[in-house]
Amino acid sequence: MLRIRDLRTSVEGKEILKGIDLEVKAGEVHAVMGPNGSGKSTLAHVLAGRDGYQVTGGDVEFLGQDLLDLEVEERAHKGLFLAMQYPVELPGVNNLTFLRESLNAVRRARGEEEMDAVGFMKLVRRKADEVKLDHKLLKRSVNAGFSGGEKKRNEILQMAMLEPRLAILDETDSGLDIDALRTVADGVNMMRSPERALIVVTHYQRLLEYIEPDHLHVLAGGRIVHSGGKELAFELEERGYGWLLEENAA
Amino acid sequence: MTLQSQAVSDFQKATQHYIAGLPLDRGAWLTDHRWSAVTRFSDLGFPDKRQEAWRYTSIEGLLKQGFVTSDSDMEVVGTEFEHHFLDGPTAGRVVFVDGAFQPSLSDTHVPGVRINNLRSAMETSDLETLKSVGTLSGPGTHGFSALNMATMRDGALIRVSAGLRLDAPIDLVSISTSSASGRAMRPRHLIVLEQDAEATLVERYLSTSDNAYFTNLVCEVLLEERASLVHQRVQQESPSAYHLADLHIELQADASYRGVNLAIGGAWSRTKIGNSFAAPGASCELHGLYLAGEGQLVDFHLDVDHGVPGCDSRENFRGILYGNGRAVFDGRILVQKQAQKSSAHLSNANLMLSRRAEIDTKPQLEILADDVMCSHGTTVGQIDPQALFYLRSRGLSEERARRLLCLGFASEILEQFESGSLQDHLAELIQQKIGSETKGAS
Ligand SMILES: Nc1ncnc2c1ncn2[C@@H]1O[C@H](COP(=O)(O)OP(=O)(O)O)[C@@H](O)[C@H]1O
Ligand SMILES: [Mg+2]
Repeated sequence: MLRIRDLRTSVEGKEILKGIDLEVKAGEVHAVMGPNGSGKSTLAHVLAGRDGYQVTGGDVEFLGQDLLDLEVEERAHKGLFLAMQYPVELPGVNNLTFLRESLNAVRRARGEEEMDAVGFMKLVRRKADEVKLDHKLLKRSVNAGFSGGEKKRNEILQMAMLEPRLAILDETDSGLDIDALRTVADGVNMMRSPERALIVVTHYQRLLEYIEPDHLHVLAGGRIVHSGGKELAFELEERGYGWLLEENAA
Repeated sequence: MTLQSQAVSDFQKATQHYIAGLPLDRGAWLTDHRWSAVTRFSDLGFPDKRQEAWRYTSIEGLLKQGFVTSDSDMEVVGTEFEHHFLDGPTAGRVVFVDGAFQPSLSDTHVPGVRINNLRSAMETSDLETLKSVGTLSGPGTHGFSALNMATMRDGALIRVSAGLRLDAPIDLVSISTSSASGRAMRPRHLIVLEQDAEATLVERYLSTSDNAYFTNLVCEVLLEERASLVHQRVQQESPSAYHLADLHIELQADASYRGVNLAIGGAWSRTKIGNSFAAPGASCELHGLYLAGEGQLVDFHLDVDHGVPGCDSRENFRGILYGNGRAVFDGRILVQKQAQKSSAHLSNANLMLSRRAEIDTKPQLEILADDVMCSHGTTVGQIDPQALFYLRSRGLSEERARRLLCLGFASEILEQFESGSLQDHLAELIQQKIGSETKGAS
């Protein structure tokens, strides 16, 4: 589904990603861990097409297409979704309007019919219940004044509505209490399907107790320095990243 | 002769001719007012850029256009005006077409509300109604408002009885048709809310053509003790029109005024809102949204005068500028020495969609009292790239995302137009107007 080959990326002239190789197949869940500043969010943003990142080498194939060639919205239309580490507040933009517009934009791109107001409301209420998002937040401006947990639930709601082929969750678990963490994990597990892949970027092994990844990668200094199975999480929990960094430097 | 002095003499002649030609039964009562306004006009002439309040707003184009001929009895072209009326229940409707009151389109029978028009009040010498006309505006604060007083012909006169609470808005709509082309219309409205009265007034200026004409309007609002008015104003003139509005508000003790102004039409528009507190305990809120695109100028001047203690004022204006659109925002608050315990807050935010657009924003707080709460803030910014990325990453096209963000920026002001259908309609207008401009920054 996704094949990243030797991806190199600079921000303001500084190389952040120094050759990333990663292959994700349909049905798989990959976890990406690593110290702060190692380039996890950069990788997520480059895949989603955010401005300000210069790809200086390598390529990315998504569902048989050159991903880096596509506009941001085209990536979303093809089924890429990024749950952001810091969801943006959009004062004055109604959450329901936003959800409906994005759902219909994605549906149109898939050649499906737009959803009418009644059908949409039914769907959004059901999904909001699933991710335990207070319905009052649907009527408010997108993320404006939301708590950290509410913002993350709102991201998961968007993912559940848009039903992407590949979802990247960038530290969706950071700053959450145990209840919110469970909700996020449940949201992710609900999305698991043979047609869909997930990349879960996380800082903590805690989330991986609820979401069992098929593969785990450690990103450090702009490279994937180690890959393994889910048991790697426990090793990282006990030993930290130091030994990997040393191994890699050696 | 300069353009200015030529124009002054042209207007003097036309105005004297106009007044002299008025039949005795039509406005004779106001003739004294008119002549003193002519004198005033001769003294003031037209404003020019040497005056601080007109520094950024040239009237050259307006004078070149002339508009010396004012509204006389024009034939009303077209009869389909109903779709311009407000949706939903209303407590009275006052319709003007090309400056003239339209009895057949209006609904003036509202118990407890006296709805009249200036022309018929003059014809019937209704002194009770007419006596308040001009009490706030005087003979004119600049040449244009003096001309309004000298040649005013029609306008709405609305008086809401003491203690009456209207639960539906009064619809005051002025529609210009192609007959207005090349002419000046000089409407004058007077709105009085007696003690404890509560009302909502929706005041709109629309056009059925894209011709050039000039609306030179004066509106006086008097709120007696504890009266409360929500005043929703929409300037949606033809794209070639000139629009000059002078709004005078006076608040008696504990009265409250909440105004929202949308300026979206016209080639050149300027709205001056002056508020004075006559007694303590009153509050005045002014909200506004202006849009200016290619070839457009929009100007708002606010002048809030705290002359007595214990009043609150709050101004919140936002602007969206694109193409080579220009806007002027001048928010002046004066808190006089004796006006202790005043609260005055002013905010102006501007969203620039193009590098060629221009804004001159100037908050002026003059605070002479020491026990007051005052603040002001001004911002000029662009569309937030992070917000744009966020929306696009959810599948919205760049154009759609920009539009949504513009509407989001406007929504805080649009919400002041309480009616949902009016809000939707205005949001739609805004989208159409900025439509192509949101395709990309130029
Ligand atoms: N917009 C940016 N401008 C400058 N430096 C940036 C920017 N974004 C990221 N970086 C830098 O890139 C590196 C990787 O950051 P990031 O991808 O956010 O790491 P992580 O998500 O793993 O914590 C850091 O050194 C960070 O300072
Ligand atoms: Mg990060």
